[in-house]
Amino acid sequence: MLHVENLTASIGGTQILKGLDLAIGEGEVHAVMGPNGSGKSTLAHALAGREGYELSGRVTLDGADLLDLEPEERAAAGLFMGFQYPVEIPGVNNMYFLRTALNSVRKARGDDEISARDFLGLAREALELVEMKQDFLNRAVNAGFSGGEKKRNEILQMAIMQPRLAVLDETDSGLDIDALRIIASGINSLRGPERSMIVITHYQRLLDYLKPDFVHVLVDGRIVESGDHTLATHLEDHGYADFVNHDLDDVPDRSLSGAAS
Amino acid sequence: MTVGTPATAEAARAPVHAGSNVEAIVYPTRRDEAWRYAPHADLGRLTFGRPADSPGDAPLGIEGRAPVIEGLRIVVVDGRFDPLRSDLADLPEGLELLPLATAIEERPDDVAAHFAADPNEPDAFVSLNRLNGRDGAFVRVDEGCRLEQPIHLVDISTSRPDGPATCTGAVIHLARGASCSIVETHLGTGSGFGGSNLRSTITLAADASLTHVVLQDVPAEQIQLTRIEVHVAESSHFRARAFNLGASYGRLDYRVELIGEGAMADLAGLYAGNGDQTLDQQITVIHRVADCTSRQAFRGILDDRSTGVFNGAIEVSPGADGTDAEQSNDNLLLSTRAEVNTQPRLEILADEVACKHGATVGQLDDDALYYLRSRGVPADQARQLLIAGFAEQTVDEIEIDAVRAWVAERLGHGAVDADA
Repeated sequence: MLHVENLTASIGGTQILKGLDLAIGEGEVHAVMGPNGSGKSTLAHALAGREGYELSGRVTLDGADLLDLEPEERAAAGLFMGFQYPVEIPGVNNMYFLRTALNSVRKARGDDEISARDFLGLAREALELVEMKQDFLNRAVNAGFSGGEKKRNEILQMAIMQPRLAVLDETDSGLDIDALRIIASGINSLRGPERSMIVITHYQRLLDYLKPDFVHVLVDGRIVESGDHTLATHLEDHGYADFVNHDLDDVPDRSLSGAAS
Repeated sequence: MTVGTPATAEAARAPVHAGSNVEAIVYPTRRDEAWRYAPHADLGRLTFGRPADSPGDAPLGIEGRAPVIEGLRIVVVDGRFDPLRSDLADLPEGLELLPLATAIEERPDDVAAHFAADPNEPDAFVSLNRLNGRDGAFVRVDEGCRLEQPIHLVDISTSRPDGPATCTGAVIHLARGASCSIVETHLGTGSGFGGSNLRSTITLAADASLTHVVLQDVPAEQIQLTRIEVHVAESSHFRARAFNLGASYGRLDYRVELIGEGAMADLAGLYAGNGDQTLDQQITVIHRVADCTSRQAFRGILDDRSTGVFNGAIEVSPGADGTDAEQSNDNLLLSTRAEVNTQPRLEILADEVACKHGATVGQLDDDALYYLRSRGVPADQARQLLIAGFAEQTVDEIEIDAVRAWVAERLGHGAVDADA
């Protein structure tokens, strides 16, 4: 459903993604791991449509050419980006924001606006999913939220937006054990045959909960290795040393398990 | 005011208008800090004198432009009380609400202070208002009386080509323990040059509480000057919410004196300009005695070539120990040609004083825009949402639904409430 071909991204003359290929099938969960500065967040923002990057290559989501679309059009096409650093928006009510977001996407798809009652039902389910109380919706978007609350709010938004493809950028960073469990179980319950996910992370602990279908190692702007979830265990034990400062040919012999489907 | 000498009462009753005393009035210049950003040439073009004739019941073209506030209302058109548009029926016990012209006749002592010349007051337009603003509203709330329904004072300037600038006055007194809300709405019609010069004098006796809202939305060709003088006695609470939105030059000038221990003044406002507007807030809060509290929180949203001015003073008199004063001024510039001039002035002549002030000037947050857009909100709507969020802090604190709705509508945001 998502095809990334030879994607490059530069910012201020510095190339960060250097020809990245990735193919994601229906309902698959792919983890992208890699050392700091390898381009993980750039990949996420390039997919979501952040301004300021010079991009080349081709990215299609359900056949639509993603790089030609504005961020809001990508959301309407079914993309959801979970931010590593969710932005605080003082004065904008969380509930109003969520309804505006959902209705914007529905409008763009030619659907009617959701009724206040149906939305409330949807919001209640989403709240339960991330174990938050109703007053969470009455606060301003992320303003004064703790790190854990911000990340829960991202998953809450994902639950309401019901995307085709979720790109979760270090959703596990800065979480304590309990919050991590809640986030992971939220993500797990949003998995389904019609929803794919790219989970960007530094650590294995989130992946222990999620058991991704595929794990990719991103080093210096390229995917240098792909495998099943055991690759994450290997990384946890050995770090990225096997993959850093080596050419692809030097990577230890591991079976590539069909990630490029 | 309850105390007035016969001499000042006579002064109040005297039929004064421009001409006789106008020679003594010296117009401000650009060198006067408080008038630095004012359009002096245009101010000089304004004429002051007897109000024009009442427009009668002809439509004024302001339908739908004022907030719809149920209840008591005094409407003043071109400086004259308009009985057709006012509603003074069924006054609750403890409230006196009458046209200022009537109060001058019947209650001269109670309006004397409003008209008494102040030798320390160099402001020419205050003097002009004192001389020419012979009608308007008189509000008196009796001891212990707590009014639930807000009182609406509406001033309309029709900007007739040959007419003088309007002068209107409001005299508001809350007796001990009284409380109420008053909304002053300032509107205009017509498309030509004109002006209005409004002045309210407010006195709060001990333990009184007043919420005072100003909605200024005259046409962009008109000059609008609003002056609000407040005396707050011990343990009284003055709460001001001001929306300075219309006019070519919209000036909002508060002079608040805390004269009894434990008095509090809480002033917040929003100015939102576009085109070539200049919106000027001149705020002075004076702590005369010990243990008073004041807050000033003003926000500006400036688009196109508009200019915002915030000149905010906290003055702490000798002996006013235990003063707790804060001031903030935050501005959002939506255009590279918009401008804001913010100046805090702190004059502290007492010890053990807690004074804080801060000012910010910024643009819309690109990260926040991207965040909203990544959730599917189109760029224009995302901008509007962020602007509304910036304004929300001031709007949200308005307890009168009709006013909150009016402000949201006027700012083009619609309601931002969750239940909208």
